Amino acid sequence: MNRTLNAFIKKELAQTLRDPRMRVILFVLPMVQMTLFGFAISTEIKRLKLAVFHDPGDRAARQLTERFYSADWFLRVEPEGDDPLRLVRSGRADAALVIPAEGLTRSLARREATVQLILDASNATKARVAESYVSKILATARRGPEPPGPFQLDVRVLYNPTMESSVFLVPGVMSMILCLVTIILTSMSMSKEKERGTFEMIISAPLENWEILLGKTVPFVLIGMLDTVLILLAGTLLFDVPVRGELWKLLLAAFVFVVTTVTIGILISTISKNQQQSMLGSFLFVFPATLMSGIMFPVENMPKTIIVVAYLNPLKYFVTLLRNILLKGGDPWVLWSNIGVLLLMAVATTALSFRRFHQTLN
Amino acid sequence: MISFKFSRARSIALKEIRHILRDPFTVALALGLPFILVIFFGYAIDFDMKDIRLTCVDFDQSRASRQLTEIFSESGYFKIGFPERPDLFLQELDQEKTAGVLIVKPDFGKTLSSPGQTAKVQLLLDGADNSKTSAILSYLPGIQRAAAARLTGLKRQEPVKLRTRFLFNPELNSRWFVVPGLATVLIGLISILLTALTVAREWENGSMELLLSTPVRPLEIIVGKILPYVALGLGGVLFVYLAARIGFRVPFHGSHALFIAACLMFIMAGLSQGLLISVVTRQQQLAMQLSMISGLLPSLLLSGFIFPIESMPVFFHYFTAILPPRWFMVIARGIFLKGAGIGELIGPLAALLVMDIVLMTAATKRFKKDLEP
Repeated sequence: MNRTLNAFIKKELAQTLRDPRMRVILFVLPMVQMTLFGFAISTEIKRLKLAVFHDPGDRAARQLTERFYSADWFLRVEPEGDDPLRLVRSGRADAALVIPAEGLTRSLARREATVQLILDASNATKARVAESYVSKILATARRGPEPPGPFQLDVRVLYNPTMESSVFLVPGVMSMILCLVTIILTSMSMSKEKERGTFEMIISAPLENWEILLGKTVPFVLIGMLDTVLILLAGTLLFDVPVRGELWKLLLAAFVFVVTTVTIGILISTISKNQQQSMLGSFLFVFPATLMSGIMFPVENMPKTIIVVAYLNPLKYFVTLLRNILLKGGDPWVLWSNIGVLLLMAVATTALSFRRFHQTLN
Repeated sequence: MISFKFSRARSIALKEIRHILRDPFTVALALGLPFILVIFFGYAIDFDMKDIRLTCVDFDQSRASRQLTEIFSESGYFKIGFPERPDLFLQELDQEKTAGVLIVKPDFGKTLSSPGQTAKVQLLLDGADNSKTSAILSYLPGIQRAAAARLTGLKRQEPVKLRTRFLFNPELNSRWFVVPGLATVLIGLISILLTALTVAREWENGSMELLLSTPVRPLEIIVGKILPYVALGLGGVLFVYLAARIGFRVPFHGSHALFIAACLMFIMAGLSQGLLISVVTRQQQLAMQLSMISGLLPSLLLSGFIFPIESMPVFFHYFTAILPPRWFMVIARGIFLKGAGIGELIGPLAALLVMDIVLMTAATKRFKKDLEP
């Protein structure tokens, strides 16, 4: 590596890290965010407010009610008055269960008990889950375990048998944070110089075009890798996320991902004339990419007409890689095919930036 | 000595308006972006799973086992595939080719027809993808019932029948709850970005120093800067509202006046947050980093948009209170779907108002400190 390029890279690093506030934003905030989100979010829906309306003398109903509150699924809301609809409408309860007036004890004996469930469906997902919880508890309403029927599904969840939320969320949140930090940093770096006029100075330096692009890429990849290690440490030490694959696979995948996002940032930077345009560009990339990372909604469900957009999202491949390496040990086919796609993206965006860069200069 | 002259704030606002009109970028960001993204994601996000890939390893190859796979695929939730090498079925999971493996043992058909015995079918699910696996788990009881009825001809009576009534969204259309949520996230984020960058830019190119040398007071500058963006933000809300009502037919049961008032408070909170960020950082790159970090991920993950606040640990019930989108999420969903009035929403509205005051005061105070030598 020649000395000018070396010096250029050093200058870029020093310039970015000079401001102590930037150091905090780059290295401390990502860890804080990882920790916060990791603890906060749970894919399991819990503590729904439920009121059960029944006759106080109804023994079977009382026993059933206790069963509802014994798990963490429902919080007890005292039934007020005799209008379950009003209770749910006012928002004081998410759900109201109404036991028939003749009492559960008697209707169970007649084998035709019907209970009514009123749900606040303004959050459709929550309502659906609440209904499934209620029907699960009702299925055990008859005393004693059911004799197994002639046909039974024996379900086993592999890799994460207790369905721990953090195991699922940590890879997703990690990729979101990494993407956010690297894209914004890189996309604004070159346009800042264009705005201030220092860009002309770089061009007049004895550096080839590819050297300028390389000099703009390497420092941000280094920063991104340092972030990767910090976030990985926070993610795996604080939360019970297993690391079943080899470390080199993890670092290689992260490296390729960081290179891809940095090159995308560089492309945005070469296209935009000022920092505002860079901001618009990175927002247009970061917002859809994080939303389609697969932890908020199932990406495969997207309508066929626009699913292409999901396949252009580098986060999708990185999340697949992370989950596969952390939980399944990193299958070679998954590892190399996803890394291949990410590399292809990096090469394509670099080629575009190079052409664009060339045009700007001429 | 608090002297606030509206005329001075007005001239700042007029200058800012001229600035905005000259700059198509800001208008596009405020009006176009939320509209396009709400339409795109309103269309893209669908929580109802269909055609989940499931691999079937059928060692039995009997009529009963074929019936079983048919029941799975007829449900519409699953798409059954048969592996080329049945002995390597675990590899299908390792290679992310399937969400689960259904294993039918060789004696399945025989056990099913012999009385008193239970024919078991093993289903291995991929725990690496919680959201998909929990969806599958919620579909399975229905499949199990359908299969038991069809394979054995016996109808099992449920001990207690459940009749459910879904209020506010009877057909459980997930768009009805996604679109107002998405609008909240986008409007909040764009409000922050609008002021964060424009004001930081003035610091960078020195025009802020110029403004400070005039007799204008900090509060006048802040008010003058924010007002035009409030109008711009409300314009963005109008577009998003039209997209939600016309594009996705989301019902609107509440009062429009209340909705506009709440939007106003929410936009003000975002703009003040952006202003505070730009007064503190005075640099576009830092301002952008801070706005995205404080605006994007918290409003996607901690506002109750997808992950309900009640399911979070207790600490976060309080912690999320400092996020404006968490409150507006309740307001937007409440007004759109439930027709909630001021009585039900007084808490969230008050929270937004408090945040407006706190953020605005903080920005002004910080601004004042910068003025003093």
